[in-house]
Amino acid sequence: MLSTEIRQWGTRFGHLPWYRRYEFLFPALVVLLVAVGFFMPPEGRPEQFFDGATILLAFVSFLALVLIVITDREKPVLLKRAASLSLIALFFLLFYRYSGTQWDRVRHQFFNLQALEGVWPMYLTGLRFTLQLSVVAALASIGLGLVLGILRSLRNPVLELFIGFYIDFFRAMPLIVSMVVVFYALPFLGINLSAFWSAATSLILMNSAFQAEIFRAGIESIPKRQIEAAKALGLGPMKTMRLVVLPQATRIILPPLSNNLVSLVKDTAVAYVITYPELLTQARHAVIWKRNPTPLIFSMFIYLATLLPLTRYTRFLEKRSKRWVKR
Amino acid sequence: MGKAVETDKQPIIQVTDLHKYFSTLHVLKGITTEVYRGEVVSIMGPSGSGKSTFLRCLNRLEEPTSGSIKIDGEEIVDHKVDINMIRRDIGMVFQDYNLFPHLSVIQNVTLAPVHVRGTKYKDAEEIGMKLLERVGVGEKAKEFPSNLSGGQQQRVAIARSLAMHPKIMFFDEPTSALDPEMIREVLDVMRDLAESGMTMVVVSHELGFIREASSRIFVLENGSIIEEGDPDAIFNNAQQERTKKFLSMII
Repeated sequence: MLSTEIRQWGTRFGHLPWYRRYEFLFPALVVLLVAVGFFMPPEGRPEQFFDGATILLAFVSFLALVLIVITDREKPVLLKRAASLSLIALFFLLFYRYSGTQWDRVRHQFFNLQALEGVWPMYLTGLRFTLQLSVVAALASIGLGLVLGILRSLRNPVLELFIGFYIDFFRAMPLIVSMVVVFYALPFLGINLSAFWSAATSLILMNSAFQAEIFRAGIESIPKRQIEAAKALGLGPMKTMRLVVLPQATRIILPPLSNNLVSLVKDTAVAYVITYPELLTQARHAVIWKRNPTPLIFSMFIYLATLLPLTRYTRFLEKRSKRWVKR
Repeated sequence: MGKAVETDKQPIIQVTDLHKYFSTLHVLKGITTEVYRGEVVSIMGPSGSGKSTFLRCLNRLEEPTSGSIKIDGEEIVDHKVDINMIRRDIGMVFQDYNLFPHLSVIQNVTLAPVHVRGTKYKDAEEIGMKLLERVGVGEKAKEFPSNLSGGQQQRVAIARSLAMHPKIMFFDEPTSALDPEMIREVLDVMRDLAESGMTMVVVSHELGFIREASSRIFVLENGSIIEEGDPDAIFNNAQQERTKKFLSMII
């Protein structure tokens, strides 16, 4: 029964200091909430020192309560989560009420649904171009990166020199610079690439450099005796790589590789400097057309919706790669 | 004691003046010997004497610095030789099994026949299953190596080598990484194999096995064969002072 339950608290939590017990925490919370209800100043940026101090005091006392809860080893995890979440909620509530922001203007400027009228088809086109560029660049850079990674893992000094230079160079080169160079400077050398292929080339050059290192690290993580066992069975170097090394290296390669692919998709946005009509370019056109930045804000949500599943998948792969540890 | 060798007197391995340097370290100092078809040769010697290096030179897992090795009459210390053609006829079992962890047991066994010999998977699987039965791990065929004990893994490794129908089997300290109770099951398989007439070269510290199963013993010290002979001659009647000293240390 509840009463026996309450009587047991004395023994169950008797070893806790007074401020960690529920007998203190609950009344303190109630007192705090009541006090806040009575004494909080009206909405708007606080004018008087006393008002500001009240707000600060309310927040600090709630923070203290939350800290007591989350630093206690014996409180249930669910309670700790609820406490931290409510602290964050309180922060935003106080900010909403007392920052003095004119929220209706914010809404009109940045979350104006009227400014999105007719923009959705542009988003759709943009997303299609973004994905096109991403897929082409991803596949090509994986191919090139794999070849470079395998070549580098051979540790041939001559290859090492060239590939090492390639990797260092394109890892250090800012993407935006290489896109501008490929699109605006190469035509002077007689190489005319469309916006799509300029963007793709730059993305492939940079990402294959990063991926080569990922592949090399994966390949070199396979113990030498695995390769010796394959050799001793009469497998040639290509078959050893394909049948023994790469399948095992995949577990190590996949998490950082998918990380790299996530940033590749994000990096397609840089292609707006060379007028490739991808998502960000479309959003910026829409901003000019509607004279309102809302379309830009919403393009952020579209990027998030596209990439969040990918980052989730990355995390899943990372977890899985730790699972079947060898031997 | 010792295994009777039905020798047609044609050496299957013929080694002449084999030298191996690791940069400046002279590991093998001119080894000349031969192994005949059907023999079981055990190599003994103190650690660092070059036993493993010698064995690994024989299928060029280590590149010999100089000298000649003929396998079945064919010179293999030559960069023009396709070493993979030679290696497919030589099985090798390693100290730490080296099974492929991403493949199941039966896939481990069928990998080389399918991809090196071009055997159809169905046939390779059938032969593989028979071999796994023979080494006593038939019921583990679908498992992954990580679920097997060390002794089971080593027996799978033997089956994996046998699947290529090798002419010769090399064993590089096959029981050194095993717990004592698992050594027996592996040695039993090896003994079986020896009796079936397989040519074997074994680097081992298992005196019981060496004494019973081998037809000849090489004693290596400091990069050269200081004595060779049948088990009786080596264990009971060693000529060299150094052999006696080595044996007294390990018995």
